[in-house]
Amino acid sequence: MKKVFDVIIIGAGIIGLSTAYYLTKKGKKVLMLEKKEIGSGSSGACDDMILLQSKKPGILLQMALESFEMYKCLSEELNTDLEFQTRGGMILIENQEQLKIMEDFVRKQRSYGLDVELIDKRDVKKKQPLVNDRVIASTYSPIDSQVNPLRVMKGFYMKSIERGMEIDKPSSVTALKKLSNGYWEVVTDNNKCYHAEVVINAAGAWAAEVGKFAGVEIPIKPKKGQIAVTEQIPCVGETNIWDADYIVTKLDPVLAEKRDRILAELGIGLSFTQTLDGNYLIGGTREFVGFDTKTTYQGISNILSQVLKFFPVLRNVHIIRTFAGLRPASIDGKPFLGEVKDKEGFFIAAGHEGDGIALAPITGKIMAQMICGETLSLPVDELSPDRLKTHCKPS
Amino acid sequence: MDETKNFVCRCEEVTVEEIEEAIDNGATTLNEVKRWTRAGMGLCQGRTCRKNVARILSRKTGRKLEELMPSTYRKPVRPVRIGLFEEKKIRGTSNENMG
Repeated sequence: MKKVFDVIIIGAGIIGLSTAYYLTKKGKKVLMLEKKEIGSGSSGACDDMILLQSKKPGILLQMALESFEMYKCLSEELNTDLEFQTRGGMILIENQEQLKIMEDFVRKQRSYGLDVELIDKRDVKKKQPLVNDRVIASTYSPIDSQVNPLRVMKGFYMKSIERGMEIDKPSSVTALKKLSNGYWEVVTDNNKCYHAEVVINAAGAWAAEVGKFAGVEIPIKPKKGQIAVTEQIPCVGETNIWDADYIVTKLDPVLAEKRDRILAELGIGLSFTQTLDGNYLIGGTREFVGFDTKTTYQGISNILSQVLKFFPVLRNVHIIRTFAGLRPASIDGKPFLGEVKDKEGFFIAAGHEGDGIALAPITGKIMAQMICGETLSLPVDELSPDRLKTHCKPS
Repeated sequence: MDETKNFVCRCEEVTVEEIEEAIDNGATTLNEVKRWTRAGMGLCQGRTCRKNVARILSRKTGRKLEELMPSTYRKPVRPVRIGLFEEKKIRGTSNENMG
């Protein structure tokens, strides 16, 4: 038996759930298809940051700032404590080379209205009294924030269900077909058949697999990120922490070549953030190893040596768990948001890589606006899947 | 005594009532219950509560215990002091999986 909906969303991760929330808010009849569990992909295996400082000045920074504003009110809107906190963030700088690049980066971010500055060693010590002396300076943004992704997903999910969303899980798409009446037909491995005018591919790292059913090639690959979790401990410093070592290699190709081979291979960039419950999440790696989500001794020990380099005091703290998630990495580092050309009604909302949590609210809102034909909160033309074509052609 | 107030997960102090509430709200697997309640996310990583949470899910949904997929196991098996990793000093040589 066929069931008809306005919109079918594939993927119950944070992007799919946010989109469902904003669509049901506009009265749309939504079906969510999830092949495993809510948040079983990347959204349940990541850290908790809304890091504004790491965003390249441009549309992604604008979206992050907009999401930040939205998160402030979402706990109340969703009637769920999302554990949203603004503790600020610092990117630790170890040498003059890094300092020079970060100075320029900070200048550009400020021109986009981001509240960020460089602070000297003395001020670093005030905010992070336990940091090692190797740190010569740091960036500081008072508005870097965090949120509990598990709570966000729960909040979006429950509110969408309350507004009539249906969910079929575990249920994996096996066929996607455009019918002559303009509807899309979605068939699943549990022998269900659904029809809708609009299908949204929000399958994250699995978006390329889902795209194939619709005959769309989507250049998104899984990028593994390993993270270690500590026991619950008191606060180590005032803010959450990142290191400049990784960020500068993204900004300067010369430095990228000079980087330690193992750190470069594993894509190690330190992130050090405390959840409201007191556990620190220490990340992370960035590895292209297919859909493998195992944690490795090599990955975890290198992450931990990075954090010890800055905070030797952590030697006596225990790791209670390690985990890994697959970040949906698009070919040009930007998500795909919008309708696919020549596939009327087939939309993509995927490819956020490590920014899914930070960008989820604005992504969901914009997707809902697109589907309802409304004016968009932000112009996202440059994120249009139209650029797929250019990437698919061999150049 | 009101049994719904009993702690199922002692590390994170999650009660029977909270587990049941998560299931009522749409959690259908052990991982989903864990993510929504934190049961099993504490120091012992579910060694104590894992089976009891499974029993509650089985009772509430009518599914047999053996049909329920266990929540994900991850290393380390026991809490490990961060300093130990430094002392071992294995960097690029070992690619042994942690699980």
